[in-house]
Amino acid sequence: MAASMYLRRELCSLARIFNEISHSGLRVLGAGSAHRKCSIIRPHLPVTASTSFHTASVFLSAPSSITVTEEPDTLFQRVSLLVKGHDKAVLDSYEFFATMAAEELGININKVYEPTKDIDRLTVLKSVHIFKKHRVQYEMRTHYRCIELSHLTGSTVQVYLEYIQRNLPEGVAMEVTKTAIEKVPDHILKPMWEDNPVEDKPSQ
Amino acid sequence: MASHTSWVFRSVGRINVAGIRLQGSMSRMTYSTEVSADSSNGNKDFQERGGRGPIIRRPRRESGEPRTEKMAVDQDWTAVYPAAASFNPNSVPLPVRMGYPVKRGVPPEKRGNLELIKIPNFLHLTPAAIKKHCEALKPFCTEWPSALDSDAKCDEHFPIKMESTDYVSAGPSVRNPSARIIHLRVKLSSLNLDEHARKKMLKLVGDRYNKKTDILTIRTDSCPLRRQNQDYAMYLLTVLYHESWKTEAWEAEKTVADMEEYSWEDSPSQKKILDVLVRMKVAGEGEGEEVREQLLGRKEVQEYKDSVTRLKNEGGSESAMLQYKEAVKKVLNL
Repeated sequence: MAASMYLRRELCSLARIFNEISHSGLRVLGAGSAHRKCSIIRPHLPVTASTSFHTASVFLSAPSSITVTEEPDTLFQRVSLLVKGHDKAVLDSYEFFATMAAEELGININKVYEPTKDIDRLTVLKSVHIFKKHRVQYEMRTHYRCIELSHLTGSTVQVYLEYIQRNLPEGVAMEVTKTAIEKVPDHILKPMWEDNPVEDKPSQ
Repeated sequence: MASHTSWVFRSVGRINVAGIRLQGSMSRMTYSTEVSADSSNGNKDFQERGGRGPIIRRPRRESGEPRTEKMAVDQDWTAVYPAAASFNPNSVPLPVRMGYPVKRGVPPEKRGNLELIKIPNFLHLTPAAIKKHCEALKPFCTEWPSALDSDAKCDEHFPIKMESTDYVSAGPSVRNPSARIIHLRVKLSSLNLDEHARKKMLKLVGDRYNKKTDILTIRTDSCPLRRQNQDYAMYLLTVLYHESWKTEAWEAEKTVADMEEYSWEDSPSQKKILDVLVRMKVAGEGEGEEVREQLLGRKEVQEYKDSVTRLKNEGGSESAMLQYKEAVKKVLNL
């Protein structure tokens, strides 16, 4: 019972966030940014999956409804997670959790590796006044773990990253590097001087 | 009489509860359970606490047996730890020990162990729990298009790559100003550029181009927000593209020093080799332009030209030097 309650709560919060994201996404489209012409890009895609989910769900006691919007999903060729922490055992457990979650959600894992740790050392005087020969040394060890994923869609990235980041343990930091891939926009396909020949102006 | 019985009751209570440490605590009133009804005792307490009244101590309750005894072996663990919580020794039915052992001892047990409480635990993220969560999250994920299964195909259909970084950490602020930085990478071969446009683009862009991988990288961090930096990077790419197709009037003044590649025609090397060959009288007697052109058409001269061009463009390498040596030997008939 408690488990299902927890799941529902998580879905609810995810839903709220997705709601906000979808609203802001649609607003961006409405503002007329020239780079995101979704409807034109579609026909060029030779790919089979044409439905794209940008989800928002209204959750009551009824099962959540997933809304599908027309906006095409962003595609991410690489997503690289770097987790940093002071305790290696915590990072080990977190890596197990993250890799298992990725497998369950069907995400390709490129590689999982451990960059070498960094040690910051500090030497200070032991005493408040004089006694220069007696010092005390401190060190801070930062351990790293890197998980590289490949070929993810925008919705999957949002879901996975939110799940992972909500369960980030205390004392652990994370950096996520995402590489989104896009088509060449229409205004770079051919030079504009063919249509509007440039008049002779002194160049600045 | 009442005082005596109350004292006896108190001491009996102490024996039950305090256990071995009873001898030490006789003098201390730490486990006294009764509020004594004695007037003399009450007065003493009253005077000691400066008129605030007697110390009211709630009766100490015995803790029952820990919940772990009642847990079934095949229970649903996700219900015991549904969310992140600190370690509770009475909820975890494992005989965990943690800590540095004293001499000839073992690590301390889990009851009253601060080390187990301090360290973050993953009891709420067992494989069963992860499976349940992922089952619930599956409907929100979408599939990667199956036609784009390799990196080469991604590059072919989607040549522009925007790289951004998110940062998650604990601190006074949730935001990280480095998150606004965008790297835009494009392969120049995927853009529609002719020879002149490509050379001009390389000159405009300078250091941002990597010759080995043919990737142009534009790094934008001048705007405060990530969306703004993305738009600015696309704007820069657009401007570079269109400007490189333009031919300005002053571009006609391009000198040999501005050239990106070495070309052998009309170079000092060509003049020198033709002079040498004419002096050596390779083509027989005669001076003038026809002789030079005839010499140019010769195979050895062409080979010499190839080797010199290769040396100048690619730099000195073993095979390039060997090729140059062979070409020189053939041209000068050594």
